Amino acid sequence: MRIHEYEAKKLFREFKIPIPRGGLATSPGEAHRVAEEIGLPVTIKAQVLVGGRGKAGGIKFAEDLGEVRELSCELLDMDIKGYKVESILVEEKLEIERELYLGVTIDGSRGCPIVMVSSEGGVEIEETARNCPEKIFSREVKPSQGLRAYQARKLAKKLGFKGKPMLQLAGVISSLYQVFKSYDALMAEINPLVMTRREDLIAADGVLEIDDSALFRHPELGIEAQDRIPDELEREARKIGVSYVNMDGDIGLICSGAGLGMATMDMIREKMKPANFLETGGGMTRELMAGALRVVLKKGNLKAVFINIYGGINPIHEGAKGIADVVREENVKIPIVAKALGNLQEETWETLQGVGIKVVKETQTARAIEQLFRTLEKGCG
Amino acid sequence: MSILVKADTKVVVHGITGRIGNRQTRLMLDYGTKISAGVTPGRGGEEVWGVPVYDSVSEVIEEHSIDASLVFVPAPFAKDTCFEAMEAGVKLIVLITEHVPVHDAMEIRAMANAEEAVVIGPTTPGIIYPGKMKIGIMPGNMFCPGNVGLISRSGTLTYEIAGNLCDMGIGQSTAVGMGADPVVCTSLTQLLHMFEEDEETHLVVIVGEVGGTEEEKAAQYIKREMKKPVVAYIAGQSVPPGKRMGHAGAIVERGMGSAQSKVRVLKEAGVKVAERPTEVSELVKSILRRGL
Repeated sequence: MRIHEYEAKKLFREFKIPIPRGGLATSPGEAHRVAEEIGLPVTIKAQVLVGGRGKAGGIKFAEDLGEVRELSCELLDMDIKGYKVESILVEEKLEIERELYLGVTIDGSRGCPIVMVSSEGGVEIEETARNCPEKIFSREVKPSQGLRAYQARKLAKKLGFKGKPMLQLAGVISSLYQVFKSYDALMAEINPLVMTRREDLIAADGVLEIDDSALFRHPELGIEAQDRIPDELEREARKIGVSYVNMDGDIGLICSGAGLGMATMDMIREKMKPANFLETGGGMTRELMAGALRVVLKKGNLKAVFINIYGGINPIHEGAKGIADVVREENVKIPIVAKALGNLQEETWETLQGVGIKVVKETQTARAIEQLFRTLEKGCG
Repeated sequence: MSILVKADTKVVVHGITGRIGNRQTRLMLDYGTKISAGVTPGRGGEEVWGVPVYDSVSEVIEEHSIDASLVFVPAPFAKDTCFEAMEAGVKLIVLITEHVPVHDAMEIRAMANAEEAVVIGPTTPGIIYPGKMKIGIMPGNMFCPGNVGLISRSGTLTYEIAGNLCDMGIGQSTAVGMGADPVVCTSLTQLLHMFEEDEETHLVVIVGEVGGTEEEKAAQYIKREMKKPVVAYIAGQSVPPGKRMGHAGAIVERGMGSAQSKVRVLKEAGVKVAERPTEVSELVKSILRRGL
């Protein structure tokens, strides 16, 4: 889960990473006050949880207070990649001498954190990686040892820094690693890290993505992952405890297991369009499945629902009862086709068939999808 | 033979008194798994399905010989449990638990490397030696004994593909779920290597999915060192970038980990890649028929 720039910067400051003077505003009036306090000119930045904000017009510069109000209005009215701008960060405009890139992320295949630095700040790191990979320096970090101070100094030197600025840069690199480690981050990034004309290093931007699975260790952040999901149905599904991704089709989908869910979605796509991806995870109960079907049905204009579940860790016979509850209670009229195999499959089939669900007993999901397709064709003709 | 386990591998179940631990212990005992003991701190002295429960692994090893740990404990305790098992000298750990913090997974993996232990997972369905035993949660009725090695990043999709293979009369030597988190403790390449060395395995099936670079790394190994034929399927061809599909690791971002890139590099390495899960068993059948 990504947190806002202003939240990331607050955490950066805790670890002594210098950030620009500024404040958060949710109205043009507040923006005006912040600008007055810190002095002009200012940078005004939309606080949204997606990358590519600058290119989408989410960052503005204001020379006077009139402009601050005008541009704040404009930004607070914006919607960037599906995220409504609800707050803006007003900061002193930095006098930039040069821009660097610092990032800590996880190398999944090596199973360890990796620290990256580059002299090419202010552009996307992927772009630098593509165009001039020789300008990125990186090193692995042993999870048990962390990033040592001498390792950070070595990276700072690779960017051509010497003397006091080198020590200062190494300090920021170390601190960023500390933020990454302390807050269970998947990614911590400062892009750009600005060196001002007075040779000060300041984190002009901040990205911090925290591992959802580790949020339980960070009650001090006061963040509920589900509150950060812009899509209403996705947010609701998260509260129930299932993964839901809203899509543009009309076939509702419920699967147990992400791999099976993706494979099912791929196959449905051959002839039809999935309305969603939904994966139950391994904690299936009667209530969870009832909740899952309710979320799926909330999206109007569905042509059918397709259910593909396996009884391994999941008690599918219990899940089936939840499905049956909803079909009965909500008097569901659209066709439901279900494939359910594994432990206690017979009991599961009986429950589903009891409420008129078409049960496919073959192993191949493709066959079950054919059955779904035929059912719909009949319905249309 | 099989990889990682034998018919008489002795298992300790961590979290045996929990709802899932209890139920899965019953299913494993029915399948033939030798479960020597269970561990739940504070519940020492009890029994679950006749299996004695202890407070700690060190107490277990005083009275039983143990070859493997199976972990069902809730995610916040997974790291501690794996450390405890490794410190007691257990060399194979199957970590079923979902939602283990990634930083914990990195530490577990680092300790496994240092202790020369093998940790499968997190978020794995486990290991099954069809017809003999299983350490995990897979439904036994979807698998059958044979000569295909099966490695999967997904649980339920493995069941489907194993079921398809069985329907065509093709059994499996061992099936291993490697887990689908951003950091897994045993890589696809390591598992491929084990199957390459295993005499009973004639062919390997990889069930991959979007996200990460495991398949890309494995393709290099297959091209360079593998003699046995490999068949693969990659789930998530229609996944839009930036959307996390259930598994923490199943996300296409920063231009990495798309199904298309995985399919391409695997094909370049000589792997037969199925377009749909169903096609896996057909490809396997045609290769085995040609070869035998």
